[in-house]
Amino acid sequence: MKHGFRQSMAWLHTWTGLLVGWLLLLIFMGGTASYYKQEISRWMRPELPLAAVDRDVALGSAEHYLREHAGDALSWNITLPDERAQVIEMYWMNPTPPEGASRRAAYGSATVDPRSGEEVAARDTTGGEFLYRLHFDLHYIPAIWARYIVGFCAMFMLVAIITGVITHKKIFKEFFTFRPGKGQRSWLDFHNVSAVLALPYHALITYTGIITLVFMYLPWGLSARYPSDEMRYYDESGNRIVDMREASGTPAPLLPLETLLASARRDLGGAAIENVAVNRPGDSTATVTFSAQPAALSKLAPSVMYDGVHGKLLERSPPPGGASQTYGVLYGLHMAHFADPALRLLFFVCGLLGCLMVASGAVLWAAKERPKHLKAGRIGFGLRLVDALNIGAIAGLPIAFASYFWANRLLPLGIEGRADWEANTFFLAWGAALLAAFVWPKRQMWAWQLYAGAALFGLIPLLNALTTGIHLGVTLPAGLWSLAGVDLVCLALGLCLGVAARRMQRWQPPLSAAQRRARAMAATESTHRPAPVGAGEGA
Amino acid sequence: MSLASAMTDAAALAWYRRPWLGVLSRSLAAIFGGYALASASAVVLALLPVAPSQAVLTGMMVGVLVCACAALWAFAAASAWRAWAGLVVPTLLLFAIAWLQQGAA
Amino acid sequence: MSALTWMAISLGYAGFTALCLAMERHHAELFGKQAAAPQRRARWRWLGWTLLAVSFALCVQARGWGLGIVLWVGTLTASSLVLVLGLLPYRPRAIVPLAWAAPVLAAALWLALG
Repeated sequence: MKHGFRQSMAWLHTWTGLLVGWLLLLIFMGGTASYYKQEISRWMRPELPLAAVDRDVALGSAEHYLREHAGDALSWNITLPDERAQVIEMYWMNPTPPEGASRRAAYGSATVDPRSGEEVAARDTTGGEFLYRLHFDLHYIPAIWARYIVGFCAMFMLVAIITGVITHKKIFKEFFTFRPGKGQRSWLDFHNVSAVLALPYHALITYTGIITLVFMYLPWGLSARYPSDEMRYYDESGNRIVDMREASGTPAPLLPLETLLASARRDLGGAAIENVAVNRPGDSTATVTFSAQPAALSKLAPSVMYDGVHGKLLERSPPPGGASQTYGVLYGLHMAHFADPALRLLFFVCGLLGCLMVASGAVLWAAKERPKHLKAGRIGFGLRLVDALNIGAIAGLPIAFASYFWANRLLPLGIEGRADWEANTFFLAWGAALLAAFVWPKRQMWAWQLYAGAALFGLIPLLNALTTGIHLGVTLPAGLWSLAGVDLVCLALGLCLGVAARRMQRWQPPLSAAQRRARAMAATESTHRPAPVGAGEGA
Repeated sequence: MSLASAMTDAAALAWYRRPWLGVLSRSLAAIFGGYALASASAVVLALLPVAPSQAVLTGMMVGVLVCACAALWAFAAASAWRAWAGLVVPTLLLFAIAWLQQGAA
Repeated sequence: MSALTWMAISLGYAGFTALCLAMERHHAELFGKQAAAPQRRARWRWLGWTLLAVSFALCVQARGWGLGIVLWVGTLTASSLVLVLGLLPYRPRAIVPLAWAAPVLAAALWLALG
C-alpha cells in the first residue's frame, strides 16, 4: 500500500486523528472541565452558604433524608462530602411496583445539604456533573450507545498517539522547536510541541479512559472465567464487597448509621469514609457497607460490611492482588482523585494541551490540503467539510461551554426542568455555531466565533457580579479560591480566545516569491542599495 | 504518494485492485480483526491458572493494548491479505488455546 | 501552589534550559555559532539531566513513589511549556537569567513556608 512503515503510520495517524477529532474535542474539553466538577457545581449553586460543612453531621442528615423519602427502597447509596464537594450525593433503588400500580423509576437520586438534611436549596442544576457525564455518556442518547462511541473514539485516539510518536522522526531533535509566524510549519511545530511535552499525559489519559469502561468493552474474559457467577469476580477482586442475599421479608429496625460510623473508622484503620451503602434497609437481613476514601494513586480502597440490625462486623474486603492494584492505579490516574490543588492545576493544563493538540492537528490537515484546492481553483467538498467542522468544533465548543454557565445564571429559577434546559442551552449554542460554520466556513467566521467565545467567557465574572453574591468582589477578599478560581479561569480563557480571534482577523496571506521580489525591488529603488533577492520567510 | 494520484494511476486497474478497496479492507481488519484478537487475548489470559479475578483483569488491560497494536499491524502489513492473515490466524490459535484451557479446567 | 511544586517546576525549567542549550541548533540561536563547542555543550547536557534528576528525587522524597512521579511528570510539562512556547520564540534573552533566578526564588519560598 503506502511505501515504508513510517509512511503508512503517518497515513494512519492522519486519518485516526481526523475522523474522530471533533468528537474527541468534546470529550477532551468535557474531561478537562471535569477536573474541577465539584468546584463548578458549587459555583453553579450560588445560593448555598459560604461556610464549610461539618462532615460528621453529613451521615446523619443523609440517613434522615433517606428514611423520609426512600424508606421502602431496596438499597441506599450515600457519597459523603469531602473538602471539595460540600454536598451529599445519594441514590437508591426503588422496589418494583406490584401489578396494576403506577410505574416508578428504577432509581431515585438526590443532592442533599448536610446542614439542613433536605435537598440543596439552590437552583435546579446538574452543575459540573453535566460536563463530567458529557465526556463519556454524551447526551440525548442512551448511555450504553454513548460509551461504545466514546470508547471507539478513544481507541482511535490511542492509535493516533502511537502512530504520531512513530511518525515523528525528529522527536528529540525538535523537542524545543516552535517557530511561530511561519504558516504551515508553525502549525506542525505547535501540534508536535503540544503532543510531545505532555506525551505521558496524553497516552495515559487515553489508555486509562478506555480502562475505566473496559468491563463493557472486553467482557469476554470475565464470562469465560466466571461462566455462571460473574458477581463472584467483584467479591474476589478486592474491588468492593458484594451483598447478594435475598430479603427475608421480616421487618427489623435499621441501626442509626452514625452508631456504626465509629466502628467503621476504627476497622478501616482510621481512614476517612467516602461511601456508605445500605442493602435492604428495614429488613432483618439489612447490611451496611462503609468504603474508605482512597489514600494514594489507586482508586481501590478497603471496605467493611456490618449487620444493619445488630451492628456486627460481617465481612472485610480482601486485599487486592497485583492486577487489581494495577487496575486501581490506572483507574485512579484517570480520575485524579488524589490531586491536591497544585497537581490538579497541572492536570488541567495538560488537558487543555490535549484539546490544543487535537485542534491543531485538524487545522494542520486543512492548511496542508488548501494549496492543492487553491491551485485547482475551487475548494472541494472534503476540505469545505473539514473547515466547517473545525470552526464549529474548535471555536464553537468554547461558545457552548460558556453558554452553559450563562444559562445557569440567567434561566428563570422556577421553570420546570431547569437543569435540562441548561444542558439544552449548551447544545443549542453548539448547534448554532456549527450551523453558522457550515454556512460560511471562512477565516472571518473563525474570527467571529472566537470573538464570541472570548466575550462569553470573558464576561462571566461580570455576569456573576450582576446576578449573584459570590462574585470576585466577595470571593477574592474572603480567600475562597475554589469559587474565585472559576471566574478567574473563565476570564483567562476569554483572554486567550480573544488573542486567537485577533490573530485570525489580522492574518495576512504569505506573499508569493514573485510578490516578495517586487517588494524587494521597490525597496531597492527607493534606497539605491542592493537588496538580497529571495530573502524572507517561506510559508 | 497521495490517494488522489494513486487513484488516477489506478483507473486502469481491475475493481478489486483499486487502492480504496485496500484501505477499506485494512480498516475492517483493524476494527473487527483487532477486536477479535483483543477478545481472544483477553480470554486466554483470563483462563490462566492463577487467581481468577487477577487473570481476568490482566486479560482486559492487555487486550486494549493488543487492539491498538492490531490496528498498527493492519496498516503496516505489506498487503491487505497479509493484514487479515496476521490478525485472523493468531485469533484462531488463541481461541483454540482457550478451548483447550476450558476443556482442561 | 505548594512550595514543592514551584521548586520542581523551577528545577525542571533550569534543567530543560541546560538541555536545550546543549543542542547545537538552539545554542547557535541564542549565543551565536562560535560559542557552540562540543565539550561545553556536553557539560550543559550533564547539568540538565542532573537538575531533572534532582527534581525527581525531591518529588519522590516528599510525596512517595506514586504521587511523586505523577507530580514530577506534570512539572516537566509545565516547565518545558514555559521554555518552548513562551520564552524561546518570544523572549529568548530572558531564558538564562530565569534559569538562574527561578530555583533561587523557589528555594526562598520553600524556606519561607517552612
